[in-house]
Amino acid sequence: MSKQERILGDLAKGVVEMDTDLTVKASREAVEEKIDAYTAINEGLVKGMNEAGRLYEEEEYFVPELLLASDALYAGLEILTPHIKRTEKGEKSKIVLGVVQGDTHDIGKNLVKIMLEVGGFEVIDLGRDVPAEAFIDKAKEVNADMIGLSTLMTTTMPVMKKVVELLERENLKGKIRVLVGGGPVSPAFAKSIGADGYAENANNAVRVAKGLLTIEQPKKVG
Amino acid sequence: MLDQMTAVERFQALAKGEPIDRLPCVPIVGNGAARVIGVKISSLRGNGNLIAKAQIESYKFFKYDIIRIFTDLYQQAEAMGAVVYYPEDETAYLLAPAIKDLSEIDRLEPADPCRDGNLPAHLEAMKIAVAEVGNEVPVTGAVTGPFTTASFLRGADELIRDMYRAPEAVHRLCELSLETALRYARAMLDAGCAPSLTDPMGSSTVISPRQFQQFAAPYLKRLIDYIHSQGKAVTLHICGKTNKIWEAMADAGADCLSLDNEIDLKEAKNKIGRRVRLMGNVRPSEVMLEGTVRDVEAAVKKCIREAYDNPKGYVVASGCSLPAETPFVNISAMMSAVRTYGRFPLMLEKLEEEVKNG
Repeated sequence: MSKQERILGDLAKGVVEMDTDLTVKASREAVEEKIDAYTAINEGLVKGMNEAGRLYEEEEYFVPELLLASDALYAGLEILTPHIKRTEKGEKSKIVLGVVQGDTHDIGKNLVKIMLEVGGFEVIDLGRDVPAEAFIDKAKEVNADMIGLSTLMTTTMPVMKKVVELLERENLKGKIRVLVGGGPVSPAFAKSIGADGYAENANNAVRVAKGLLTIEQPKKVG
Repeated sequence: MLDQMTAVERFQALAKGEPIDRLPCVPIVGNGAARVIGVKISSLRGNGNLIAKAQIESYKFFKYDIIRIFTDLYQQAEAMGAVVYYPEDETAYLLAPAIKDLSEIDRLEPADPCRDGNLPAHLEAMKIAVAEVGNEVPVTGAVTGPFTTASFLRGADELIRDMYRAPEAVHRLCELSLETALRYARAMLDAGCAPSLTDPMGSSTVISPRQFQQFAAPYLKRLIDYIHSQGKAVTLHICGKTNKIWEAMADAGADCLSLDNEIDLKEAKNKIGRRVRLMGNVRPSEVMLEGTVRDVEAAVKKCIREAYDNPKGYVVASGCSLPAETPFVNISAMMSAVRTYGRFPLMLEKLEEEVKNG
């Protein structure tokens, strides 16, 4: 095993085993050894986070483990991100993400954010308790490709519907995709309000988001 | 169709294994009760009279089988120092936990339900409801489980991290929350009201079954042991995925499990139905809020088909509290479907028809 392989392995292991100390140590080593930061993130940290996501889908891991794995991931990203070479970044798809108005539970949304960032999206996080109008305003402002809406509470689901309606009113439906998810949200509900996609959990959100953008990528003018 | 028994008579007969006229039915009306009397949800805050009035009128309007005095999950945490925000006409939510750092645990104290936060108003509502309609319908009071209250005291993300970083601190927070819950339960029992437990943070949608055993179940058990010692049966509601903790919920002493649509009632019946009564699991959002009257009827029939023969009994119910905007016609449709299809003797062919047609 080469030194680089060992370090990449430690980066992944640190994340999936929720070991922030190991992740930080391996990240520093990666910088010292001049391992390409992009490689270290994608073949180290992200690999670990994907593995954590897989364990979550298999119900080996639950929210606490994902949260701690993401703590380790962020600790590693903090060290490695400044070393990413500019040219490697490329154009990222933008998602405006938030928990809809009336709900302040944001563990789920935070996990989605991490997974999306890791999955190569630029996430504009509006936080929690966000009114429908704020999603539209921000999406227009940053020329977003997608809006991600999350909630844990049935009482707030009408806000999701309102976001879709506002997009329609502004003639942006289809141009800006809408992805919904969260405890009480179902595929049928997503369909009924005219959302473009439904994600069952954080890991799944990345796949669905990528699918929505690649399958029917709208032509960008200019 | 008119009922032949009151809700109290129905549950008493059920407990003794005697015949009942129909299955009990509980659309879990929370703050939707405010809609029944035409007041804003925020006006219920700290107003025992109004909470009672809303819940009593809602019961009289729909004639369901349990009144549950409940506005939101944060009441006990608020009484211990958490900051709760009350929007004008929506369910309250947690604005800030009671502590920002574990070092602050020492200043937390169990709440006094006769003095702290809005607990006195809830107790007042329970007393009024018991006095007015307690002879015909069971009146229960919602008690938030110790682990869930602990998550509001500390903040859910931080508590979750603490389970790994500082498990002892989590236990201390649960212990404080348990003491509040015990005091609140005692005050409820004094008011002639039965405590009904809900512990959503214990769901396997959030924590693992092993963490539930470690951090939620022991405190639920002590709380339930106390309520049992006062001669009352206990319903325990946990939403989301629960199939891997059903045994643990029964081991904690729950007499009835209130489950939501993330689980399969038939599976629950087969796995745990010999130990506990089941309650559930019509979808609160898709069916009750968004669905048509026909959707509600179909969902009720499906639930009855799946669980009517649960060994320890079955209560048709929504999987979770109904959104406040749930149309009244859907709540009425739920009741009338149970009065038709949940009437004994059950018309099994009619229930089965749905399988072929629906």
